[in-house]
Amino acid sequence: MTITRKKKARRASPRAAKPGRRAQNKERTRKEILKAALELFSKKGFFRTTTRQISNRARIAEGTLFNYFETKEDLALYFFEQELAGLTDWYQSQTKLDRAPLAEKLFAIIHRHLERITPYEEFIGAVYLRALQPVSKLNLLSLEAHELNVRYLRFIQEVLREAEEAGEIPKVGDFGAYAFGLFHLAIITYWLQDISPGKENTLALLDRSLKIAQSILKRGTWEW
Amino acid sequence: MVNKEKPRGRIGRGLRIGKLGLALTGSYLGYQLQNLFLGEQERPERRKSFNRKAARQIRVELESLKGPAMKVGQILSTQFHLMPEETLSELAKLQMRAPGMHPSLARAQFKASFGRFPEQVFRALDAEPFAAASLGQVHRAVTREGQEVAVKIQYPAIRKAIEDDFKLLRSAALPARLAGHATESMIAEIERGMLEETDYVNEGRNIELFRKQLQPLDYVRVPTVHWNLSTDRILTMSFISGEPLPDFLTNREPSQEMRNRIGVQLVELFHLQIHRLHTLHADPHPGNYLIEANGTIGLVDFGCVKKFSAGFIEIMQAFEERVWLRGEQQCQRMARLIWGPGILVKPRLAREHLKHAIAFYEMLFPGLTGSRAVVDFGDTKILKTMFRILNENLRNKTVNPEFAFYARAEMGLYNLLHLLRARIDTSAILAKFESNRGAAVHNGEPA
Repeated sequence: MTITRKKKARRASPRAAKPGRRAQNKERTRKEILKAALELFSKKGFFRTTTRQISNRARIAEGTLFNYFETKEDLALYFFEQELAGLTDWYQSQTKLDRAPLAEKLFAIIHRHLERITPYEEFIGAVYLRALQPVSKLNLLSLEAHELNVRYLRFIQEVLREAEEAGEIPKVGDFGAYAFGLFHLAIITYWLQDISPGKENTLALLDRSLKIAQSILKRGTWEW
Repeated sequence: MVNKEKPRGRIGRGLRIGKLGLALTGSYLGYQLQNLFLGEQERPERRKSFNRKAARQIRVELESLKGPAMKVGQILSTQFHLMPEETLSELAKLQMRAPGMHPSLARAQFKASFGRFPEQVFRALDAEPFAAASLGQVHRAVTREGQEVAVKIQYPAIRKAIEDDFKLLRSAALPARLAGHATESMIAEIERGMLEETDYVNEGRNIELFRKQLQPLDYVRVPTVHWNLSTDRILTMSFISGEPLPDFLTNREPSQEMRNRIGVQLVELFHLQIHRLHTLHADPHPGNYLIEANGTIGLVDFGCVKKFSAGFIEIMQAFEERVWLRGEQQCQRMARLIWGPGILVKPRLAREHLKHAIAFYEMLFPGLTGSRAVVDFGDTKILKTMFRILNENLRNKTVNPEFAFYARAEMGLYNLLHLLRARIDTSAILAKFESNRGAAVHNGEPA
């Protein structure tokens, strides 16, 4: 347990450095714009929301909006960045999960993510479609999206490493984080199309897959 | 345990069930081969060892399947008259050992069904369950108003899994089917019962029915439903205290007098359900009877409740009126009621069956024939006789499904009485129900 706590403290430390007031103001405006945009996205949809509507709602000039976000895609990227930061902060605050088995930790991470993005389901679906275009900034091949992805992978890697050190699973290396990332993406795709009440089919799929994966890893073989 | 993980989805479970069938057929063939080389005397022992091995195999496989398939295992284990004894001891281990939801999943599932997280609804909810229900698990909680409650949370997507599993059970070799025991109508009945059990609104209504109807018995405690904190997959009930009967017996070592008293109460409870409610709390699992130090009985888990038809009630009356004393015609009527019209084609078999059923009935209620009235349930005679009769019925494929259901519950009752080693004047209890048939009030004090 001490290992975990120490690690969490170390991870949290870079955030402690305070940015200047100017940067703080800038960040606040960015968040206000995102908030306005998300409200509009969930009301009108991603494609039908215009930059003018966003700037009106955020009470800034349309020109100012472009200083912050060149395109709606930049806005979406910023959204994901915020989501990731929110997710990692939340995970670090969950002391209850410290003693949980890996399968539960990973379950909690994805479930928390799904809970956070639930109000923006339509928006996420739209972003998915957009991300399929090779020139889109949302495509994983874009450097912006790639940076974000690496940040996510490092977060997962840390969670997996804790399980490795505790002897819960054998060494999985970076492959483990990559594999989980793909799984995470697959679950979101499934979730987007899940029409069961309360999307409980996603919960069942998530729980079963993670338990199977963990027990396969534990035994180190693929034989059922 | 070796194969602990749960195969995912229908195909995974299909593979697993298939494998189970194969494993059994494999060893069954081995057993048949051995038969060729073994003398007559060795055979029964060898067969026992095969049954034990197969039983263990079934348990391990069913356990790894979890969910619905495990429930089938549980049901088969309570239908113990359908199984060789060696199989039973293994399957009994399945009971009370449902697959668990970790705290994060239980919380997520609560939200999925209720729309809000438990911490937004309750003052407190234990992260870990205190009891496993077959299709879910039960957590202790305290409402905003400070009431202690039990919250039953169902596994996600269990209904769909049940439907999928039964499609498979029908196509794959069900182990019980190998033994020629589980008929299609029985499997259909189990499926219907399980799907009904997934609807907690239905269970809530059952609780209310029983709560109202069992009020005359002041020693029975039935929970109240908190409808505002329940959905079809979440059931919030008042907390019922007490220990499961087997724990009560080990922890408290109650006196013979206390054991008799609890036994009398159980018999009364059973007959009140049959005679007045025409409905039976049909899960005879000992864990569903929570006993307090003062001997009162808390009744929980109302997912499986059986309503009996008018025809079935007629059978019970025929037994009580001992109509067989009134000549051949009445005997035939009774046989037809119990085993269906098909039985009359085989008059000798019918007579034989009826003779055994009557003998058993008189063993249970010796006071009716003027013998010593107190029955000692500590004696295994009753369970064994019932086991034998049901086996005979099954061997001759003569069993009315409704009667099979009743028999299962009745056997559950005698099993509880046997655990209690209770000595009871059964006939006196029955007489109370006969003398005021139709009367609404009944005092719970044992005679």
